[in-house]
Amino acid sequence: MIESILLWTLAIVSAPFFAAVILRVKAFFGGRKGSPLLIHYYTLAKLFKKGSVYSTSTTLIFKLGPLVSLGTAITALLFFPMAGRPPVVSFSGDAIFVFYLLGLGRFFTIAAAMDTASPFEGMGAAREAYFPIICEASMFMVSILFYRLTGELSLSAFFSGNQPAQFWSTAGSPMIFVIIALFIILLTENARVPVDDPATHLELTMIHEVMVLDHSGPDFGLIELGAFSKLFLYSAFIARLICPFDFVHPALDVALFAAAVLLVYIAVGLVESVMARYRMDRVPKFVLTSFALVFFAAVITLEFAK
Amino acid sequence: MNGPMDTILSLALLSILFSFASSRLPGLIKVLAFQGVVVSIVPLFAGHHLSIGSLVFTLTTLVIRGFAIPLCIYMVIKKVSIAREVEPIVGYHASILAGLLLIVGATWAGHRFDLPVNTNSQLLPPTAISLLGAGMFLLMARRNAIAMVLGYIMMENGIYLVGTTFSMRALHIVEFGILLDVLAGVMIMAVMLQNIKQTFDDVDTARLRTLKE
Amino acid sequence: MNLFFLSMLMIASGGVLPLFLWRQVNLAKMIAVIGIGSGCLLGLFDSLFRLITGPPPGVSFSPPGVFPLSFHLDSLSAFFLVSIFTVSLLAAIYSYHYMNNTEKQIGAAVNFLFFSLLVTSMSLVVTAHNMITFMLAWEMMSLSSFFLVIYDYRNPENRKAGYLYFIFSHVGAMFILAAFAVLYGHTGNFDFAGSTIPDTMKILVFVLGFIGFGSKAGVFPFHVWLPHAHPAAPSHISAVMSGVMIKTGIYGILRLYGILDLQTPASGIIVVIFGMVSGIIGVVYALGQHDIKRLLAYHSVENIGIILIGIGIGMIGVSSGNPVMAVLGFSGGILHVFNHSIFKSLLFMGAGMVFHKTGTRSIDALGGLIKSLKITGITFLIGSMAISGLPPFNGFVSEFFIYMGGFKGIARDPLTFVFCLLAIISLAIIGGLALACFTKVVGVVFQGEPRTPNANRVDEKNGSTMIFSMVVLAAACVGIGIFPAPFLVMALKAVSAIGLDYGRIPIEPFAHMTADISLAAIIFLAIMAILAGIRIRLFRGKPIGHSGTWGCGFTRPTSRMQYTGSSYAASILDFFKPVAPMVVDHPPVAGLFPGPTRYASHVHDVIEMHLERIIVNPVLWLFDKLRWIQHGDIHLYIGYILLAIVILLFFV
Repeated sequence: MIESILLWTLAIVSAPFFAAVILRVKAFFGGRKGSPLLIHYYTLAKLFKKGSVYSTSTTLIFKLGPLVSLGTAITALLFFPMAGRPPVVSFSGDAIFVFYLLGLGRFFTIAAAMDTASPFEGMGAAREAYFPIICEASMFMVSILFYRLTGELSLSAFFSGNQPAQFWSTAGSPMIFVIIALFIILLTENARVPVDDPATHLELTMIHEVMVLDHSGPDFGLIELGAFSKLFLYSAFIARLICPFDFVHPALDVALFAAAVLLVYIAVGLVESVMARYRMDRVPKFVLTSFALVFFAAVITLEFAK
Repeated sequence: MNGPMDTILSLALLSILFSFASSRLPGLIKVLAFQGVVVSIVPLFAGHHLSIGSLVFTLTTLVIRGFAIPLCIYMVIKKVSIAREVEPIVGYHASILAGLLLIVGATWAGHRFDLPVNTNSQLLPPTAISLLGAGMFLLMARRNAIAMVLGYIMMENGIYLVGTTFSMRALHIVEFGILLDVLAGVMIMAVMLQNIKQTFDDVDTARLRTLKE
Repeated sequence: MNLFFLSMLMIASGGVLPLFLWRQVNLAKMIAVIGIGSGCLLGLFDSLFRLITGPPPGVSFSPPGVFPLSFHLDSLSAFFLVSIFTVSLLAAIYSYHYMNNTEKQIGAAVNFLFFSLLVTSMSLVVTAHNMITFMLAWEMMSLSSFFLVIYDYRNPENRKAGYLYFIFSHVGAMFILAAFAVLYGHTGNFDFAGSTIPDTMKILVFVLGFIGFGSKAGVFPFHVWLPHAHPAAPSHISAVMSGVMIKTGIYGILRLYGILDLQTPASGIIVVIFGMVSGIIGVVYALGQHDIKRLLAYHSVENIGIILIGIGIGMIGVSSGNPVMAVLGFSGGILHVFNHSIFKSLLFMGAGMVFHKTGTRSIDALGGLIKSLKITGITFLIGSMAISGLPPFNGFVSEFFIYMGGFKGIARDPLTFVFCLLAIISLAIIGGLALACFTKVVGVVFQGEPRTPNANRVDEKNGSTMIFSMVVLAAACVGIGIFPAPFLVMALKAVSAIGLDYGRIPIEPFAHMTADISLAAIIFLAIMAILAGIRIRLFRGKPIGHSGTWGCGFTRPTSRMQYTGSSYAASILDFFKPVAPMVVDHPPVAGLFPGPTRYASHVHDVIEMHLERIIVNPVLWLFDKLRWIQHGDIHLYIGYILLAIVILLFFV
């Protein structure tokens, strides 16, 4: 239990560090030196020191938005078995709870954006409401596949111990498709490049960044921390699948897990460096591809795993 | 589901989904070229005894299927200004979902048909049926003539896959495949002619001279 | 059973007495509310008591008389009675202030009469124990709700909605009668019994009954009346109709299923397919609506879909011999009946408050209402999260059970696997779409800035009873979401009365799941509390500024520039174009000095379109051809009567 809580805290604390890796990779490809790896900690510290300015159009919901988006993200992390060690809490069906909890976070992010009466934020909100619908379907498809393979429905049953390694041995190569699909979901849910460009300069073309335009100071810090935690959660899914080893020794497990997570972040950075953002009407097709991949993996696995 | 054969075949199935999702001709051609390569190397893993002759034959198919035909079509669309958009009748989203349904249906049908499979892969009949169905789908659901030709080539890939399940000597199947190849070539010509007709209002080859730059 | 009939009597007297007092409008309203309310309260306690203690599986009562009337109260009836009485009680309280600005005082009295009739007849429907009693109560329910729909009969739109509802409910009743007739033909009496009839007949009866009950429940494609009738009725009536009346259709399906003792997978498959289609199409159409009550009406179609998915999973579980899956599916579906009645009536009451205060139901004409209608806004927000199935609210609990039932079927035979897979995926899509739809409603109606003067200058004065009802319902949403255990026990008791041959269903394994949900909800709330504490600390002694919204460089924003509901939903609707065709009226801007232009969009209901083409027009054509019968000559009419008598004498 103590170990699980420690790992959970470590995950939240290290999430900003990993996010900085993406910036570093992008800088490397751009031929720049890049920002320090601790940049996000400096930013958070700066934001937490400031006061806030609120739009006169906003209400209580606007202030609740950052809290709920951070709260849901870190609560979701509680259910994830970090490095394959047991999670803090776990029960049968917690996967459903986690997906819906992230939905709650999304509800409040959108509501907070609509609170400002800004047309740009409304635009971002509409996109934020649209794309994750398909992501959710893909996530449930992944759960169905994993449920069929494990007979359990909780993140700890899916990702802890040597279960990921067993996925590979029973399902084999279709797991590659599952990983690609999860990567697409990661990019979509966390507003990364082919879906959304966090570094663009035009509000019209943003999704997540435009929704938090009016947040400032500590509120914005909470949102950033929530976004880092959410990105970490999705990366951790993939990290456990690409590196399914279980050494039983905690320190070794954690080190390997951290390396795998790092690899996922580097991959995100790579994608951001070599790809351009899709036109908005192309995004649904991109996300649908993830659903198609998982569905496809499920069909061929379930048909031939018998 | 760990054999190399299954992996290769699942890549072929995957290429169906990507072909349904591609909106531009160059992309579609690349997917088809990939599919051609994947389909052509299947015999190498089919567990037949490989003679030098059949190896050469396989490699030749690979070159034709994976490089020659796609390159030809690519040249055609480069030379003759054909619209790059595949002009779908059924939208891309619906096409992807249709592709999924097709694969599920083919998996189901693969067990029903009882093809004379003598390979170690259970995935082969479904893949072949899916390729046939997907080719049909492209023929029906795309307005662009080149996309239709590509659909036709996809069907041909499916037939080739069925052919590999028989022994290497069952050449009539292969001949059938080649026949279809020729047909595809003819259709490409037809498209070219149609384009010429569109541009010049007739197919007078004398006026083709103006194409020369 | 005596207490039950006493409560019926009190409700009826609450409806009849105001007729004599309509000149003192406040007194009449008060008597009505007290009569109906206390009757509901008594009935609620009685049915709750029966549901919780209820060792007798059912109480029967057959009054002597010409008709073989018979009533029976088992735990399934009691569960539905709890929903009916809860919602009706709060709707009655709500109506006291809602019926304020009515000019027609007699209208209010008549409204209360039909309201009380509706409540009584719904209660009788779920307790009826033979076909005659059931049909009598059913017809009474349809007629009283018809009169409630045309309450504002001066508006031609409302009259049209009323007629549409009338036709649908009677065609539906015809199908139910047909199902009962087939049953009667085989058993020879009016009792609810049919487990002995041949299997093919069972399917026929089930399909006929499903169409009939489905048209009441608003199952796609029999839902056409719903989006017309709900906006037409006064809001507390919409709350009752959408919250509980349409659920009598679900009750009918469950009862019929129990009577027939179906063992084939066909029934489950039919129900799941209709559930999935209703769910997805319902929420897609809801996204395209501009009228808030119409939008909520389409959400009823969606939620009926979710309930049907749950029940269908239960049925598939029964037919594939998987008791855990069956119980999870049924209890999830039945619990969703209750949960939906709570949050849907809450949302309709909120919409009613908005309409009452602003005079418009158009979403795009409103905005910023949470600042002026604070409590309405917050309770509506809670209801929105509950209907989107988000934790820690009640909608999540029932959806969780349906999901668990579906997942239990994943590891089974191929048929079960396929339908469970489809059910889970559609539930996920429905959840996402519902979230999009309710962020649209909350965001456009309650947040931002007022778009028209209507939405400006409103307050919550003179609405204390309305606010009371909404607060109670919102508290129920949160309460059930965090502590679902007792409600699950109620649902399990109801399931045990369907007649699944499982004997007493053990509560232990399912109570474990509710405990997990409670635990997770409490952990989440604890983390939220800690974060809130941290946030307060972070802001201690910091400067807080106020300013306008950042306009991305534009310095003169107006409220008309806000994102509207139509634009919010446009891209999602575009994805569903094939099933939700949208017509746009937008003359393009042209020239150097373009004139004013306009934009209007409307999402067509495909069933409504095709219904007109395939059924209405041919029927009209046929009747047009038969017009010669209506001659206008009195002598000929007497001839008709004679002819009718002769035919009857000879042939019957």
